[in-house]
Amino acid sequence: MIRLDRVSKILGKFHLREISLEIGEHEYFVLLGPTGSGKTVILEMLSGLYPPDTGEIWIAGRNVTEMSPEERKLGLVYQDYMLFPHLKVRGNILFALKLQKTDAAVAEQRLQEVTEMLGIGGLLERHPATLSGGEQQRVALARALINKPSVLLLDEPLSALDPRSKEIFQQELKAIHRDTDCTILHITHDFNEAYLLADRIGVLHKGRLLETGTPQEIFQMPESMLTAEFVGMENIYEGTVFVDDSGAGIQIGQVKIRTVLPRTMRTQIGTAEPVHDSKNSGIISKEPSERRTDKVRVAIRSEDVIISREAFASSARNRLPARVLSLDNYGAFIKLTLDAGLPLKAIITKQAVEELEIAEGQDVWATFKASAVHVFEQEK
Amino acid sequence: MRTRRKRRGNRLFRGLIGLALLALFLLYFTALANIVWKGLGGLLSNVADPEIVFAIRLSLFTSVTATLICLLFALPAAYGLVRFRIPGKKGIQILLNIPIALPPLVSGVALLMLFATTPLGETLARWGLQFVFSVRGIILAQFFIITPYMIRILKAAFEDIDPRLEFVARTLGCTQWQAFYKVALPIAKNGILAALVISWSRAIGEFGCALMVAGATRLVTETLPVALYLNMSIGNLDTAMGAATWLILISIGSLFIFEWAGGRSGPASRANIKKEVAGRL
Repeated sequence: MIRLDRVSKILGKFHLREISLEIGEHEYFVLLGPTGSGKTVILEMLSGLYPPDTGEIWIAGRNVTEMSPEERKLGLVYQDYMLFPHLKVRGNILFALKLQKTDAAVAEQRLQEVTEMLGIGGLLERHPATLSGGEQQRVALARALINKPSVLLLDEPLSALDPRSKEIFQQELKAIHRDTDCTILHITHDFNEAYLLADRIGVLHKGRLLETGTPQEIFQMPESMLTAEFVGMENIYEGTVFVDDSGAGIQIGQVKIRTVLPRTMRTQIGTAEPVHDSKNSGIISKEPSERRTDKVRVAIRSEDVIISREAFASSARNRLPARVLSLDNYGAFIKLTLDAGLPLKAIITKQAVEELEIAEGQDVWATFKASAVHVFEQEK
Repeated sequence: MRTRRKRRGNRLFRGLIGLALLALFLLYFTALANIVWKGLGGLLSNVADPEIVFAIRLSLFTSVTATLICLLFALPAAYGLVRFRIPGKKGIQILLNIPIALPPLVSGVALLMLFATTPLGETLARWGLQFVFSVRGIILAQFFIITPYMIRILKAAFEDIDPRLEFVARTLGCTQWQAFYKVALPIAKNGILAALVISWSRAIGEFGCALMVAGATRLVTETLPVALYLNMSIGNLDTAMGAATWLILISIGSLFIFEWAGGRSGPASRANIKKEVAGRL
């Protein structure tokens, strides 16, 4: 439905680098990235505010790279709504249809449909300045949807809303996506938002598209360190790769932890064949001598760390003695800060804390699988 | 002891501010009130004076015409300067600001030389478009003087409008012209009104530039300022005061409209309007 083909753009100091991206028909795609990552530039290029410096943009099988915005037939909803202040809500929503001189009865019918879908039928005679943020948001959405766009572009649609409205509006966005034929491209800096809404997520950082994948893929197996930080991985270290008799591992300070190296890294290190193909096998071909390579970064999700009082036999390949430094209460969960030779955070339930009688200063065991240790090459 | 001295210092400072304001108020108020007082008495009688009637009608005709022509050029110019990347934009802007800093008399000489002594002026005159020493010259002079002001006010009005409003309009199907006409123009309405009023009142008071281009011929190119000038110079105080009073009333009236329209527009135009008002006083 939408295809970006090696799209680059330089705007002042900002540089968008060779973005290639394909979004399927009726897909809900979320472009995720921090402020200044280039999300808005992509959105504005898609909608035709300015052309890319190089590359092509295709929408619905048409090369729209050089097309003006009015020819592209898409809907755009800005974060701060951009309702026309000189028109009432009715005039705002009917703007596109009036422009096309749509038959009044048809227009009224469409108005009815979209206002009903968004629950804003009572606001038609109001001026935009008198509406709440959530109401303005709905009016802006109605204004875009009444034109039946094949592509709907949403610029941080939830970021200006309070938590309660946010939750409601998330459900509505899902419903809109379900009930219309729109392909949606939604940009945000909030991973939770992306996780809840997206069919697929693209992660953008400093003008580069780092990776794309389903929310589960991005959350569980982030391909880059930045994504890992972005999705809230808390245990992040720098270390050195080694390969010894029992497989691959990372040396972090004095501590050695076992991991599964990404395939790209295995070939770089030049381990002897055969390399087991299965991603989670956790086994690297044996090599007689220990080999060291460049520095890497490592991330471990705090949810993946298991805490026990006794060392127990398990299939998990990492088991570290640790001392509890502090406990932080997060409602049903407790976040433990541990000293395991390296600073380590673990999240466990309140119940577990009580049953194991965990307190500050306590010595415990921290256990996690080799596959829970995510290894990333140093960002260039 | 010390606090008392400090308090006395404060009182003295506030007293000086009050004194300065009072002195200024008295000077301006008595100067203007004196004329209006003398003029008001004759205001009704000089409505019957054919010379004043001629001057009022000529002033209204030329200033309205000049303002409308000015709008025709200033509106696209201001919008273009705000919204589009135009090669040489900076230069254009500086050039357009020069007449604001220039004494109107100099602008007048420039126009006179251009339309009287160059092939351009001669050709236009041959086609029947005589500007020098004619009513057309007054309109030309007023146009030349007020256009930079109008562009400045209009630019501020457009700068207040988020360009993304027009951009959303374009994603909804508007061409560039439609986005301007259906979104930017109605939103800038108050700024445009303010620009019209201030430019018009400047046009009606324009003297130096028009004097150079069109001359000061009784009952031919006699606008209100010219009537004031001619009658003062021959000692006909009643008619002169009448003309002056009309000019003061027009100024005050337009200032009120201006403030009203300005108060309803965005922050950039409000600041600019304040500056313009300050410039006028």
